[in-house]
Amino acid sequence: MDFLNPAFWTFVAVIAGIYAIMALGLYVQFSLAGLPNFGHVAFMATAAYVMAILVVRYHVPLAIASIGAIAAAVAVGLLLAGPALRLRADYLAIATIAGGEIVRYLAMNLPELTGGPIGSMGLAGPGNIAMYNQDWLALLNRLTAALSQASGHAVSRDLTMALLVWTFAGLLLLVFRRMEKSPWGRVMKAVREDETAAAAAGKNVFSFKLQALILGAILGAISGLLLAWQIGIFSPEDFQPTLTFYAYLILILGGLNRLWAIPVGAVLFSVLFSGTRLLNFFPLSLIDSGNRAFLRLFLVGFLLVLFMALRPQGLLGNRKELLLEK
Amino acid sequence: MLLEIDNLAKSFGGVAAVDGASFGVAEGSITALIGPNGAGKTTVFNLVSGFIRPDRGAVRFAGRDIYGARGDVVARAGLVRAFQAPRVLTRMSVLENVMLGANDQPGERFGMTLVAPGRVAAREREIEARAREMLALIRLDHLVDDYAGTLSGGQRKLLEFGRALMSEPRMILLDEPMAGIAPVLGQQLLQHVQDLRARRTTVCVIEHDMDVVMSISDRVIVMDEGRVIAEGTPSEIQRDERVIEAYLGRRAPSEAL
Repeated sequence: MDFLNPAFWTFVAVIAGIYAIMALGLYVQFSLAGLPNFGHVAFMATAAYVMAILVVRYHVPLAIASIGAIAAAVAVGLLLAGPALRLRADYLAIATIAGGEIVRYLAMNLPELTGGPIGSMGLAGPGNIAMYNQDWLALLNRLTAALSQASGHAVSRDLTMALLVWTFAGLLLLVFRRMEKSPWGRVMKAVREDETAAAAAGKNVFSFKLQALILGAILGAISGLLLAWQIGIFSPEDFQPTLTFYAYLILILGGLNRLWAIPVGAVLFSVLFSGTRLLNFFPLSLIDSGNRAFLRLFLVGFLLVLFMALRPQGLLGNRKELLLEK
Repeated sequence: MLLEIDNLAKSFGGVAAVDGASFGVAEGSITALIGPNGAGKTTVFNLVSGFIRPDRGAVRFAGRDIYGARGDVVARAGLVRAFQAPRVLTRMSVLENVMLGANDQPGERFGMTLVAPGRVAAREREIEARAREMLALIRLDHLVDDYAGTLSGGQRKLLEFGRALMSEPRMILLDEPMAGIAPVLGQQLLQHVQDLRARRTTVCVIEHDMDVVMSISDRVIVMDEGRVIAEGTPSEIQRDERVIEAYLGRRAPSEAL
């Protein structure tokens, strides 16, 4: 593959946009309300599975199935993290990391419901390859045709998707920027800094944590749906815990507690992660592709460590703020 | 009585920290709560302000039963507190810290800033103006945009005090406001406390410095081993045998000669 292949970078842009929405969900929980959610992937997996199951098994229209999927992700969030909200933050971290894995293992081990290890393809039972995103592709094709006509150029489906995802991500970022700057955001940050002080100032701490949990679950679910539509088929393997850590990486790379760091971090992460796939030029081409794959993961890790060592506050973060103790 | 506490009790693993304490605080007064270390003063504050659940007893504030109510509910009822180790929101600005203390901001409800931006912004302007006045009063106005985490211990106490007053409470509980802060800031804080009385805001203060207690308080309540052992004006308390005993210990029979 060519390093300058536009189709490849368009695909990277789509994934980066989806990751930005995923990271925004984590931002609301972790950066605004101080909830250390280590099972963010559970919201994505739940939404993707519920949507696919409703569409394939029950022939529910895609829009309604998607709303059901988001509701299911919120329910999972309340079930897994709700009880831990009243406890100290470390308990929430433990509960959510377990919760994320529970969802993945359930998906793996309930083949009658979820298709098991082969994932969404197996939803219609053996012998039938299930497709859940025909309606989505139809919509995307119509949009692509309209865009091609309007611009006078041939627009690829991925480019349409990239524009769609980034427009949506941009809107969400603007809305949450507005909310963060509002009195609501001030209370959220107070809850993050010191729950006891927030309560002493007359704020209902539990209610704010609950709001953050639900909003984060909704955003996580939306990113899960977009990811499912983009990749077309998915399996439990696509919802590894590492996805949650990618979201943390995006927040940290961009700069912790900075909303605009999310798109920056998402792009930076995606370029680092996907761009290194293309390191197949001389002299790296002397190494065979299997070893190059290992080398690539090593390189991604190395670059991240280097970045954190040289700029711990991230691209947009504030070093002074980082050094303050809670 | 603005605040009435009756037979309040709390044990921690068999140790009775507060063991049937009863007292009242009159509206508009400065009431000092004193007693030796471990007497249960701070625990009483925690029980009354809703940060620890009592085992039994009764707490009434302004005629309302607040026994076992959550901390934020008590605060919104008009009874706010400051902590012994000041709790400021370190990675928020000094101004934000004070503004947080204000109540009745509809914008604190989810999505209100999108639905009713005008109303939220109008209230926000009022709150910010008042917060700036408050910061000028407590002489932190040169630090408005600094992170609260960069303030000294004494400045943090002042900041917490300012935040508490933003809600215009009927009563404030101060836990050792003078402890561990520079004398200049201490004197300033003391002046603010006396100004509160002039504005008919009730103050209940835990304080160890007897000179301070005797000079500012209208009433003194003495606690020992989880109970109230004496109550009266500062001069009455100074002469009270039980109080002297609680602080200095009982005389051995041989010494009594």
